[in-house]
Amino acid sequence: MIRTGLLGIVALALLQGAALGQMHGKHASEAACEEPTLRCATKATPAFGPDGTLWLLWMAGGQVSVANSQDAGRSFSAPTQVTTKRLNLDWGPDARPKIVVDHKGGIAVAFSIFRDEAFNGQVLYTRSADGGKSFAELKPITANNESQRFEALALDQDGTVFAAWLDKRNRVPAKEAGRKYEGAALFFASSRDGGATYAEAALARDGTCECCRLGLAFAAPGRPAVIFRNIFDGGVRDHAVMTFADVSTPGEVHRVSTDDWQINACPHHGPSLTVAPNGTYHAVWYTNGKARKGLFYAHSRDEGRIFSAPMALGQPGRNPTRPFVLAGPAGTVMVWKEFDGEKTSIQMTISRDDGETWSPPKTISSTSDTSDHPLLVSDGKQTYLSWMTKADGYRFTAIEDQP
Amino acid sequence: MRFRFAGVAGLAVLIASVAALDASPALKPFERGTWQGVLKGHAGRPVLVHFWGVTCGPCKVELPLLGKFAKDHPDVDVVTVSADLVPNLPAATQSMLDKAGLSSTENFIFNDGFVERLRFEIDPAWQGDIPRTMLISRDGTITTIEGSAEIADLEKWSAQQLSKY
Repeated sequence: MIRTGLLGIVALALLQGAALGQMHGKHASEAACEEPTLRCATKATPAFGPDGTLWLLWMAGGQVSVANSQDAGRSFSAPTQVTTKRLNLDWGPDARPKIVVDHKGGIAVAFSIFRDEAFNGQVLYTRSADGGKSFAELKPITANNESQRFEALALDQDGTVFAAWLDKRNRVPAKEAGRKYEGAALFFASSRDGGATYAEAALARDGTCECCRLGLAFAAPGRPAVIFRNIFDGGVRDHAVMTFADVSTPGEVHRVSTDDWQINACPHHGPSLTVAPNGTYHAVWYTNGKARKGLFYAHSRDEGRIFSAPMALGQPGRNPTRPFVLAGPAGTVMVWKEFDGEKTSIQMTISRDDGETWSPPKTISSTSDTSDHPLLVSDGKQTYLSWMTKADGYRFTAIEDQP
Repeated sequence: MRFRFAGVAGLAVLIASVAALDASPALKPFERGTWQGVLKGHAGRPVLVHFWGVTCGPCKVELPLLGKFAKDHPDVDVVTVSADLVPNLPAATQSMLDKAGLSSTENFIFNDGFVERLRFEIDPAWQGDIPRTMLISRDGTITTIEGSAEIADLEKWSAQQLSKY
């Protein structure tokens, strides 16, 4: 009896061990493997340099690495590690490392880590001045110690690097003063030396949603435009656009759409924004509001003040998610994910009339396991889909001219 | 005797190694098919399934309230599912459940990297926003609360479930 009992305990312990072991193994991971190599990446972010070199920044095995490709993503150089040790990187669904490459070939990078066991975030940045051979020591983008996440980087024509992120520093004084404070705040800083140092962080807007990626683009030289999930009156988490007067001066907040998504939650599902050379803003976003549910697109031809009526994207029964938009040389392209219960596909549509009409959506890639968000990037001649998948590795695909 | 000692020592090492692997033996892995298992396992009883995550601000506020609700309503089966997507979470997840008074409820943690498929099995329209609470009545009717639940609404639902029988 005793022996049976002991065996039972041993068996139970083994079973528990097996179950927990599984949780730590590959099966539970979004990554294909645990090394810092591209094959093991869960998030990969592309950027073209001025000479047409494709740069790819990724997070894998707790590290951030970068490599470049001279043949449009078919092969990559030996990677350079941006991080020198394994870090508790922000692995949230909407987090990813960011990269911009300036006209001198300088590479500015930023990403978030979890700073403590309470999952407070910290935005770190670095720069390479030697063509990606080495990176400067990582530094926090602000000296403040409250949580920061969801940074975004954009490059101005004059080489200024503009950074925006979500920052919880204003929660503390509000709480001390007995004031209610919802969400986080949109903060920003800019760098005049290509991302080697940043000016002091400043507030653009209090009361934003705290857990969605930002969309960031330059509307005109010196004028960054940010799209973000704002918290409007009554806890409604709808999207807003802010166009800065200059890199130091925030502008007014304009609502993209009245979706009426009143929710006290983390949607983990941020928007995307691109500004065409003629100044048209193209925005895509996800909502689950009373007025509409799903993915939507709208454009603005007056610097983000008034947006067109939202246009639904994707097949509602296929869970369309993770939209991205880019105004490129052959037209404005949108991509998003759909899921049919087994496979995730990337859907693409293109507009050649500045967002008035769109081609029928077309499947341009698919995979049978988990995947990163689809991203678009352009070298000025061609627009490409950049997509990291667990089962099939990294994919870099030219968007065909004819849908 | 020696054998028995070796067995006990071996067992101690085994238990210690399991404990070292993670301090949360109570967390069950939530995998493909688990959702149907939860539905079948609690069929005929009122069930509250709460999806949450350690990195979600509103979840941190709601979880202790849910702990109190579970304590006050033993007739409702409370099930929690940690649906966060940050790796290496079991210890942090268990710690928050313990602090919220939810140590003894049935607690799961997402354990499939293909989260789109897991979510699709639960609700094809769910895109991963948390917190999210699904109230399953005795007849299997599911009511979904997106975002933080109002405890008053949970009380009302619970009272309805009990009054039916």
